[in-house]
Amino acid sequence: MNLLMTRKQIIIISVALFLIFLPPVALFGGKPYLLSLASRIVIYALAAASLDLLLGYGAMISLGHAAFVGVGAYAVGILHFHSTAAEPLFTWPFLFAGSNNGLVVLPLAALTAAFAALIIGALSLRTVGMHFIMITLAFAQMLYYFFTSLEKYGGDDGLSLAARNTLPGLNLGNPSHFYYLCLAALFVFLFFAYRLVGSRFGLVIRGAGNNDRRIKGLGIHSYHYKLAVFVIAGGSAGLAGALLANQTEFVTPGLMHWTLSGELMVMVLLGGLGTLFGPVLGAAVFLLLEETLAMYTEHWMVYMGPFLVVTVIFAKRGLFGFLAGDKGKNG
Amino acid sequence: MADTLLEVRGLNKSFGAILATNNLSLAVTRGHIHALIGPNGAGKTTLVDQLSGDMRPDSGSIHFRGRNITRWKSYRRARLGIARSHQITHIFENLSVAENMGLAICAGLGHNFRFWRHWRSASAIQKELPFALERVDLLHRSELVARHLSHGEKRQLEVGMALIGKPELLILDEPMAGLGPGGTVELAKLIRKQKGQVTILLVEHDMDVVFSLADRVTVLVYGENIATGSPDEIRRNPLVRKAYLGEGG
Repeated sequence: MNLLMTRKQIIIISVALFLIFLPPVALFGGKPYLLSLASRIVIYALAAASLDLLLGYGAMISLGHAAFVGVGAYAVGILHFHSTAAEPLFTWPFLFAGSNNGLVVLPLAALTAAFAALIIGALSLRTVGMHFIMITLAFAQMLYYFFTSLEKYGGDDGLSLAARNTLPGLNLGNPSHFYYLCLAALFVFLFFAYRLVGSRFGLVIRGAGNNDRRIKGLGIHSYHYKLAVFVIAGGSAGLAGALLANQTEFVTPGLMHWTLSGELMVMVLLGGLGTLFGPVLGAAVFLLLEETLAMYTEHWMVYMGPFLVVTVIFAKRGLFGFLAGDKGKNG
Repeated sequence: MADTLLEVRGLNKSFGAILATNNLSLAVTRGHIHALIGPNGAGKTTLVDQLSGDMRPDSGSIHFRGRNITRWKSYRRARLGIARSHQITHIFENLSVAENMGLAICAGLGHNFRFWRHWRSASAIQKELPFALERVDLLHRSELVARHLSHGEKRQLEVGMALIGKPELLILDEPMAGLGPGGTVELAKLIRKQKGQVTILLVEHDMDVVFSLADRVTVLVYGENIATGSPDEIRRNPLVRKAYLGEGG
């Protein structure tokens, strides 16, 4: 882990440089719409990479990760709704009229999602294997139907935002500014997650993912560690959801639907399980394929499916493992 | 029984109609290598599972360091000083040898909610890791992913991990199973080296190993303790010869 393979480094650095220099190139080339797609990719990459912490390192197969994306998005939507409506969000213990200030909204969205992850994780992590998959799925669907039934916030029609959040010194309405905000969030997350995976905490998580019974035999109560990483991943997905709400300026219960959880899972598998960086590639490939295939046919999944199968069979660690050389190592 | 570390009183465990542990009592003296032998299906692993907390007995009690730990979960027992290695090698196959050993060290550090610094730079790791790897002759293998180790090396790693944190009682469940003659000799040497520092409960099939290492031997047949004594006493015991060594006399 401390000795990075050079090929891996080259790929990571070149992709990072590409992402950093994308806006001026896109604008200069007269294709500003690319920035919107790129922002979407970066946001999904953040959500997928946070899921990779659970799937790839802790072997917690969560099929409810979209719930946290949705909670983060709804935090943005609801706070925005109250800041424009005459009605405050709550009046006790203090008056809070909602907000459109990114410095308030974005951390609050991540915290709300982390809190949801704390509750869902605390209950789900008492189970393992198939039961864990099913219970995370069930919780996500519960949230989906809950928000569908919230007439005040648009029900299943969702909620439109009149404007993006504000941040001092940035104009999030400007596609480049917004793109760089998303990219910064992704980079910070990846750096933090990279440190996390290599830390003592990360070692325990990887151990629990590999052989949970053995971890318990060592005298480590893995439940608390798994819950902590579940909360971290949930909060990060919530941040992705908040950014997504800003990007589309629209919030819908569809963000919590299990199909989005499934898509995130596909991005992780496609890019490389347990590689952190792989899901970024996975998100890019998935969304670009979707974009291009959808131009030719609405049944684009017919082509996506076999592609995924081939990748998973022939590249054990996904696209990233395939490109960077698979040493069979975790991380 | 001046210094009894582990005491088992009237333990029972059944699977349906099969009595895997039958009113079993047993005392292990501190500092001894206490061997547990018995034919296949005698309930050795079932007993060990109950001692380590991986399985609950139906009735009876287990006392360790004077405390009744019958209802304790395995991680609490581990904290009190019971370490075990399994019959089927039980390591973190996808982690490197150093990471395996590092995790065992981390287990003794209270909590591991350290999110930022690399695990290797923790002072306890720096201090203990090279020594712990050296003790089981795996220093030269430290960066290898554990699943690529040979069978004997995996056992060495497992014993090494069990020894971290200075357990009071080390339970070795058939450590020699599946090892070649060379591996058996190596591992026996390793176990003998630990004598006096840790009490060992050795579950073993290999008679030469048992009689050369053990201070006390308990013979288990159909979940029952049919004899306990020194290796010489056991060798001479006609009941044991009949039931286990398969000699008519």
